[in-house]
Amino acid sequence: MAKYIVRRILLLFPVLFGVSLATFMVMHLFTTDPAEIILGQHATTERVAALREELGLNKPIYVQYADYLSDAVRGDFGKSVITKTSISDELMKRFPATLELALAAIFIASVAGITAGVISAVKQNSIFDYGSMVAALMGVSMPIFWLGLMMIIVFSVTLGWLPSSGRISIGMTPEHLTGLYLLDSLITGDMEAFSDALKHLILPAVALGSYSTAIIARMTRATMLETIRQDYIRTARAKGLSEKVVIIKHALRNALIPIVTVIGLQMGSLLGGAVLTETVFSWPGIGSYVVEGIMASDYPRVQGAVLLIGTIFVLVNLVVDILYSVLDPRIQHS
Amino acid sequence: MYKKGWAALVSMVLVAGLVVTGCGGGAKTGGSSSTGKALVYAQGSDPRGLDPAFVDDGESAKIITQIYEGLVRFKSGSTEIQPLLATEWNVSPDGKEWTFKLRQGVKFHDGTPFNAQAVKFNIERQLPPNANADMPYAEFTYDGVKKVDAVDDYTVKITLDKPSAAFLANLAMPIAAPLVSPEAAKKYGDKLMENPVGTGPYKFVKWEKGQMIELAAFDEYWGEKAKTKNVVYKFTKENSVRASDLMTGSVDIMDGVDTNDVKTLEEKGMKLIKTPGMNINYMGFYTNKAPFNNLELRKAIAMAINRKNLVDFLYQGNAQLPNSVLPDFIPGYSKDAKYLDYNVEEAKKQLAKAGYPNGFSFNAITYSNPRPYNPVNGEKLAAAIQADLAKIGVTMNIKSYPWKEYKEVLKNGEGDAYFYGWIGDNGDADNFLMLLDTAQIKGSLNSSKYSNPKLDQMLEEGRTTMDPVKRAQIYAQAQQLINDDVPWVPISHSVDMAAVRPNVKGFDLHPTGVHWLDIVTKE
Repeated sequence: MAKYIVRRILLLFPVLFGVSLATFMVMHLFTTDPAEIILGQHATTERVAALREELGLNKPIYVQYADYLSDAVRGDFGKSVITKTSISDELMKRFPATLELALAAIFIASVAGITAGVISAVKQNSIFDYGSMVAALMGVSMPIFWLGLMMIIVFSVTLGWLPSSGRISIGMTPEHLTGLYLLDSLITGDMEAFSDALKHLILPAVALGSYSTAIIARMTRATMLETIRQDYIRTARAKGLSEKVVIIKHALRNALIPIVTVIGLQMGSLLGGAVLTETVFSWPGIGSYVVEGIMASDYPRVQGAVLLIGTIFVLVNLVVDILYSVLDPRIQHS
Repeated sequence: MYKKGWAALVSMVLVAGLVVTGCGGGAKTGGSSSTGKALVYAQGSDPRGLDPAFVDDGESAKIITQIYEGLVRFKSGSTEIQPLLATEWNVSPDGKEWTFKLRQGVKFHDGTPFNAQAVKFNIERQLPPNANADMPYAEFTYDGVKKVDAVDDYTVKITLDKPSAAFLANLAMPIAAPLVSPEAAKKYGDKLMENPVGTGPYKFVKWEKGQMIELAAFDEYWGEKAKTKNVVYKFTKENSVRASDLMTGSVDIMDGVDTNDVKTLEEKGMKLIKTPGMNINYMGFYTNKAPFNNLELRKAIAMAINRKNLVDFLYQGNAQLPNSVLPDFIPGYSKDAKYLDYNVEEAKKQLAKAGYPNGFSFNAITYSNPRPYNPVNGEKLAAAIQADLAKIGVTMNIKSYPWKEYKEVLKNGEGDAYFYGWIGDNGDADNFLMLLDTAQIKGSLNSSKYSNPKLDQMLEEGRTTMDPVKRAQIYAQAQQLINDDVPWVPISHSVDMAAVRPNVKGFDLHPTGVHWLDIVTKE
């Protein structure tokens, strides 16, 4: 097992090398020169050249990449060329926001997705089954951007139940312990901040989790349908076990392995893919930071953030793989 | 087990619901209760930074205006100049020496006294050899500054190497010109971007990246103290979400109002505030080559374009129809300048006069993205004009590029005509008119490659004439001359829009895109 984990961690390096190279190349070859962005409409050729030199952008691209990589492996993502702030600091400050949102989204998606999937499978071809699968299809196909805006119109503007943007109301700042507002406010007993942060979290988490909910529901239904037709389920029923015990303890436990895989993969992509949700709801996480970076051609910012997201994605996958053997002792990593 | 699971789920939902509904709706206290009654201004994104020397974006300029002050400032609603940290000034007859008397008893937020040395420090840090290549406006603002002398504690003399009537306007700009505390600049260096220290009515409190910036009234401010003690700038990317925030009351003022949201905002009782933008949206002809080196032909095209329709329908009325290159709030703007009227029949006659009785076809290049002066984008504008020109038998072939490439192909002079625009810097007439100066052909600002020695001479005279009345006369002639020569078809000046909640009083949007929150109250 230990060997397996080490091997997987070692595999992280070529993956991240690929990710960093791809991001670096895309940013350098296909976006506007940051020197032009900084200098605006008075960017004369001479001034752009001078600034490119100052920023090190006139060096050959492989030299720039080598410089960047040698700093990055030491955890130094450099400074933003536009705001001059340390990228590592910014990422550290924003990561808890993204993590909190992704955790909330995956929580909602798992609870709703598994519940809907199990009931659909047990009551196959019932109205609930059709209804939830149509909803799941909508969840998969509905653009998050649109869904987010619609939820704002309904729940914020029309009904006035929930706030439309941001992480917490202006004037409230929970004491910084973990950076996860819900957790921090709970630990410090600041229930007002907790309630406020929770209200801010609901809409973006539901919007972000909608796609995952649908995927998990569909996956759960499919695996459950397969599992409940197995012989051992019939045996369990024949033993006289109650239907609930059969479904939850015997069927779901065995169906969980592919579902956990999907949840794990979804968690990875939620952490990195919250770009649209964070933009719609002005959620101050990594996603909105990347978007602003791309808009401003802020190379180091985008490179740093993408590398962080890539690392997280790979690590989450590793955790999922390890979880397999916990859930199913038949699977052994060696 | 099954039962227990459901019970747990239901209770979780209930607890969440209770927390939300039960505890919600209370007063917004917490960490810093002072901001509970804060005036909240919503804008699209974080500022790049808050050191005026290193930024040129509108988001930064707005916040810089609250924290910092320059020697002079723009009057409300126009780009006329009025005193700020300088109480009076005079310029030598040759237009090269500007002497400023400074306001006494002014302090920076960190307690550093404001004096002639502070002014000298601020200008010199943006001049060679101290200036960095990434100070976007240093060269423009302090163009031609030879030296800065502190004559005494409260008198500064700035010597230029050539006369410049627009120099004063440069000093009123919300970027590069606002003065930073020299002590803070030395202490923070690069980090002044995040730790701004000026003399303005508000001082910086904190910046939560991606969320908000908090400012508080400066108790030792030299002038009338800010009417609202606490101000928060909240960053919300989407225009429509900002509008939702305004309607739900979580913010008090928003800018960047989307035309599509205007009706809803008005229905919900929000007040809309409009101001003409400091820009020009135009179609240009390459006047140095056929076919548009032919003045009669340029006139025919100009007469065939229904500019009023473009303003009314393409821009839905949120733009101004220009009669000159200059927006109407700029000193020197001539309301008497006359541009060719839209008239299809006359345009056809004019086309025949130009030697094309049966029409002709030409190529125009445009950009595919929206620009501040053209919120719908260059392609849509070109398509609308294409339809107008078809009515007189002229075929305009459109080639569209993304912005980055567009600037390159424009520099290379591709096609016969082009679509472009200009965002003013300092509110001075020369800043617009110089776009047609022969001297700007080389640096490619004069994309039409229009050259008229008479205009060049007028512009030079304008730059060296310090008397505003005489200057305005010169510029009135220049505007008419440009209109008569038709190097451009001026399409529109865009209109900036903000919206405020009904209880917000005193808010005004300046044509340069900034505002002053110290005079705003929330009832």
